[in-house]
Amino acid sequence: MLFSSIGFLYYFLPVTLFVYFIVPFKLKNLVLLIASLAFYFYGEPVYTFLMLGTSLSAYIHGLLIDRFRGTKWSRVFLCSSVIISVLVLGFFKYSDFFVSNLNNIFGSKLRLLGLALPIGISFYTFQTLSYTIDVYRGDAKVQKNFISLATYVALFPQLIAGPIVRYTVVEEELSSRTHSFGNFSYGVTRFAIGLGKKVLIADTLGALATSLHAMTQQTVGGMWIYAIAVSLQIYFDFSGYSDMAIGLGRIFGFKFLENFNYPFISTTVAEFWRRWHISLGSWFRDYVYIPLGGNRVSLPRWGFNILAVWFLTGFWHGADWNFIVWGLYFAVFLICEKFFLGAFFKKLPTVFSRIYLVVVILISFVIFNGNGMNGVITDLAALFGIGRVSAPAMASASAGMAARTLGAASVTAAGMASEAVGALTSVAQATTAAAASIASATATTTATATAFASTMALPLWSAETSYYLSGYILILVVAIIGATPLCKNTILKIKENEKAARIINILEPVFVLMILMLATAYFVDGSFSPFLYFRF
Amino acid sequence: MRDNIRDKFITILFCVIIGAFLVVGSYRLVNPVKTSEAERRPLAQLPSNVTWESIIDRSAIEKTESALTDQFPMREFFRTLKAEFKIHVLGAKENNRIAVEDGYYAKIESAFDDRLTDYSIGRLVYIYEKYLKDNGGEKFVSLIPDKNYFFARDYGYPGPDYDNLRDKVQAALPGMTYIDIFDTLELSDYYRTDTHWSQPELAETVQRLIMMMNPELVASSEAHVTEYTEHRLEGFDGVYKGQISLITKPDTLVYLTDPVIDGCTVYDYETGKTSGIYNPELFERADQYDVFLAGTRALLRIDNPNAGADKELILFRDSFGSSIAPLMVDGYKSIYLVDIRYISPDYLGEFIDFSGKDVLFLYSAMILNQKAFK
Repeated sequence: MLFSSIGFLYYFLPVTLFVYFIVPFKLKNLVLLIASLAFYFYGEPVYTFLMLGTSLSAYIHGLLIDRFRGTKWSRVFLCSSVIISVLVLGFFKYSDFFVSNLNNIFGSKLRLLGLALPIGISFYTFQTLSYTIDVYRGDAKVQKNFISLATYVALFPQLIAGPIVRYTVVEEELSSRTHSFGNFSYGVTRFAIGLGKKVLIADTLGALATSLHAMTQQTVGGMWIYAIAVSLQIYFDFSGYSDMAIGLGRIFGFKFLENFNYPFISTTVAEFWRRWHISLGSWFRDYVYIPLGGNRVSLPRWGFNILAVWFLTGFWHGADWNFIVWGLYFAVFLICEKFFLGAFFKKLPTVFSRIYLVVVILISFVIFNGNGMNGVITDLAALFGIGRVSAPAMASASAGMAARTLGAASVTAAGMASEAVGALTSVAQATTAAAASIASATATTTATATAFASTMALPLWSAETSYYLSGYILILVVAIIGATPLCKNTILKIKENEKAARIINILEPVFVLMILMLATAYFVDGSFSPFLYFRF
Repeated sequence: MRDNIRDKFITILFCVIIGAFLVVGSYRLVNPVKTSEAERRPLAQLPSNVTWESIIDRSAIEKTESALTDQFPMREFFRTLKAEFKIHVLGAKENNRIAVEDGYYAKIESAFDDRLTDYSIGRLVYIYEKYLKDNGGEKFVSLIPDKNYFFARDYGYPGPDYDNLRDKVQAALPGMTYIDIFDTLELSDYYRTDTHWSQPELAETVQRLIMMMNPELVASSEAHVTEYTEHRLEGFDGVYKGQISLITKPDTLVYLTDPVIDGCTVYDYETGKTSGIYNPELFERADQYDVFLAGTRALLRIDNPNAGADKELILFRDSFGSSIAPLMVDGYKSIYLVDIRYISPDYLGEFIDFSGKDVLFLYSAMILNQKAFK
């Protein structure tokens, strides 16, 4: 089920809230678990059992790790837990990737399994992994109540697209949490912000990106706008989901950690990743990077650690090479920043490092959003002016080149003619020669243009690019401003004044109502779309 | 407003809104609305037969999701809210692919689909080869530009390659004379909210067609144009109005009559009934353009007892042909109107004797960009 749907907002949520708040506290987890299973079942009927099985595995392994604590068996059960989780994730998410690559490498014809990706499997697998690892490390107490643990794994606000909530974060809240108007109101407002980000901004930018990518004749300018649109779309889509998850969690009394902190204002890639998908970055840091030795190792080993972590980060996002390249792309910049780029940009005004970061990130999301590696190469080439030129544009380009050649030939003819002043015959000869040269040049131009059609320089701009930009310019500006803390800081500044704070308090419900109504309007008109991060 | 009051207010407001829509929405699911007049489509309803298999394969769930959306209370209000916000606040160029400029709505298409246009042209070639090649009459073909042609030309919208389509049609039908009517039309010749052209604005187009097809009638038809009587039907909501869903005034549908048109009869081969050219009583239908020749009919014949000549015309047409055909009756004893979206060309020989008759293929370019022909 999608948060951004009529079914969730006006049927599932009110019924769940009603039942949740009328039952006594001891039954609230059970209500949440049932609601979460229904939520998941609505979207993935069959895989609901897979998720329950994953929860059961984590529950049993947690008990066993705790039961045999201090013995080698504790470690055995931890390994067993990790292996089972990774195998399940690998089987459902990556089997076809491995099979198709084996087929490509060895020319074999192994059948693809064609399994549908269980929604949210990457998220809940990482959550159960963190649980058993934390129990093993003694960072978390073992959960002896299966309903409580299953509630943690299946908790619908963060079930299918994060943030990756660690067990330690909600451990206490599973047994004791408070419900208040303050929490509820904050949750509703945060949910509305996320809904607006997703429905009004991300989906609109998605439409712009799709249109620009599908233009009959791509242009360099259009592709850079595409890169901006895609980057902002992914940010608003994913951070919008996180806002909704955090808001819903707060309504039910859970305080999830923030997952985004205005990543686009970063000045380095390292900072970007401290602000982007924070729960994933910290997960890899705590469960992969530091166990590998972190940065307290030899330089080559550190390089390996970085590459390993970013390979896995990319691979986590999708079973395709472009995601792996995307992850390693960041690893390269992190290494460069460590050695020289960081120091280089420190010497320059901040604006240069911001530009550097934005360009790196725009290119990264073009890689991320590419249709396999072939698509990535095509898109990156188009960003830098190399691409397929459509027939009309080709004709136009050929005509332009021919015209330029004609001009050159005319100049030549004129020159030749002037050298033959007074000799009409010479002029006539020169004109004939020039005409022949024109015909020849034109033919050559056309042939060359045809031969190199696939590698011709793309036009910088077109009327079609202008058309799309003009229709989306306002939302682009809103998105760019919204990706900075400008609005938040302004509101906080205004709130320092007591009277102004009261006015803001009056406007807040109006804002919530407005977003709810607009989002509903978009749902009803059938223009909603799944969250991008559902595919992870 | 203090923080605690704000918190209570937001909590209550949110709960009241989602609770109210839950109650009213549930009522609507039990008592569903069957069709959307604005969108001209049936609205989804809860699946009547839910089985375990239909749940597992999600078909029942998807139908339920559609029903929840389609049957949502105040549906038209919300659709209009989205359209007004998107167009007038965000400054978007289109909503649901319908663009608006100077009050005119048009469906934006950036390209023709070669597979579709090749198919459609192939069907026209088939008719030519089967019936027309040696029938002895004059043969013509003409394309009608969609409003998006003018949006592209006048407002910079992306538009399909009309020149290429015209070239393809001409190349495929070398035995037919192509009549170019693009320069006889302007955006203002179409209804603001609908895809169709307006009959009173077709004088120049009719002149062009007649000049090519029936030159001897040009002089008389020129004089004739001014003699029509206008009949106005207020409250014409075109197909695009429902799709874009903006707040807008309806058009006024106008049809023209004169003694010749009034004297014509229309025979419907499907029903075997004879009627007049116009059917103003059908203005109450969802598709109000059905006023012209009763809308979507497979095979009609207009008989003109006052024709000055014995010429007959077979007009292969879509709904645009319904409104222009009455203005061409002057020169023909009979006009056969064939809509191959509703009758297979294979059967035409059973109803029409093609020998010696003039033929005109008159199609909206956008019809060729569909797999609409049988």
